[in-house]
Amino acid sequence: MDIQAYISSGKLELFVLGDLNETEQQEVLAMAKKYPEIEQEIIAIEEAMLAIDEVSGVSPSSGIKNKIFETLESENKKHTSPTIPEKPLQKEVRLVKEVPSTNPWKAFAVAASVVAVVSLTAAIYYANQYFDVEERFAISLQQNAILAEEVQANQVKLKALDTGMEKFITGNFDKIPMKGEGLPMQEDALVDVFWDKDSKEVLISVNQLASLDPNNDYQLWAIGEEGPIGIGLVDPGNKLDLQMMDIASGVQAFAITIEPKGGSKSPTLEKLVVLGEVS
Amino acid sequence: MEEQALVHGLRARDNKVQEYLYEKYSKALFGVISRIIFDRDIAEEVFHDAFIKIINKIDNYDETKGRLYTWMANICRNLAIDKTRSKEFSKMSKTNTIDAYVYGMENDAGTAAAVDGIGVKELMDDLNDEQRFVMECIYFKGYTHTEVAEEYSLPLGTVKSRIRSAIKLLKKKADKI
Repeated sequence: MDIQAYISSGKLELFVLGDLNETEQQEVLAMAKKYPEIEQEIIAIEEAMLAIDEVSGVSPSSGIKNKIFETLESENKKHTSPTIPEKPLQKEVRLVKEVPSTNPWKAFAVAASVVAVVSLTAAIYYANQYFDVEERFAISLQQNAILAEEVQANQVKLKALDTGMEKFITGNFDKIPMKGEGLPMQEDALVDVFWDKDSKEVLISVNQLASLDPNNDYQLWAIGEEGPIGIGLVDPGNKLDLQMMDIASGVQAFAITIEPKGGSKSPTLEKLVVLGEVS
Repeated sequence: MEEQALVHGLRARDNKVQEYLYEKYSKALFGVISRIIFDRDIAEEVFHDAFIKIINKIDNYDETKGRLYTWMANICRNLAIDKTRSKEFSKMSKTNTIDAYVYGMENDAGTAAAVDGIGVKELMDDLNDEQRFVMECIYFKGYTHTEVAEEYSLPLGTVKSRIRSAIKLLKKKADKI
């Protein structure tokens, strides 16, 4: 190994300048350990560098010294171990301090107002719901009453129908159709009379009969040997339903005339609407 | 103070030893930084950080790898180079040539240099152009020797021998003063 060649290669200068990679550094260190001449040369270069820097160096301004030692002092105060980085520690300390000192009041205030707003909203919501439900309940009650009334009316109607039906089925009724054909009042008028000759009962069923003004009524007449006898008023609106009339016997024909409200004792023949003869 | 005692005191975080270190080496170390960073304010900022780093990282210093000053100088040099390669610095360094560094420094810190020492320019006077060029690249600009060799198509050995001869000459001149 040519020590002088190694020394004069310039590698040692680069070593001192920190311009060698890890492997090369290790190599130089190993060589220095092995050869005192190389070690001496490295020391000489290091001294040369220091000498050059000392001669050509510039003193930093006096303020910088104070600043440096202030920094060092504040670092010493903050932590005992120099290996712990300064900044994260500072941040942690701040966090611990700030959270309990300023934040809780604000946090509680914010939480309280949030709760208040939520409660108020809920109260308004449920109040609205309450009034809404109450209103709907009242409507339901009303509807219920109406329905009950209707049910009762229907029951009455059903009972009447039932009675009529029973009579109709058990009795021995003849059907006598009465027509408006050929009469001046209502050409299309059509009313059926059911008459039981034995029980003398009379039922009628309106098929087609014009409505009247409130001052007049249709009156049913049973025409026999003794002349026409009024056996009841006919409701023109109650169509295709059995209306029970007064009893009649010895009838040859049935007729309906328009009479003043409440009916008359003798028929107004000019206002004969329908006529049906018993066959 | 012996270097061994100095290192021991620094590791013990002795305030007085830290101050002694400052008094003894601040001029040389700040010289290392201000060679690379022309702006005095930025240079002082880097020096501040470098000195703090030296104090805090003293446990990383390995005596077997060289003298304390060499370790400290390399910390200063590396921080200064990092600064010149940072984004905030890049605009400036592009417009500043080596001459601007050297002569600018002479003008800017001229009075300080007259008091403190001979100044960089005068020190470099005795170097020939070739020696001065590699020294400027490596010592001032912070290039590695391989970068200089590649950039200017010089054999590695030539770069190394020029550095060596330049340092020898500089040492001689420094010793005379």
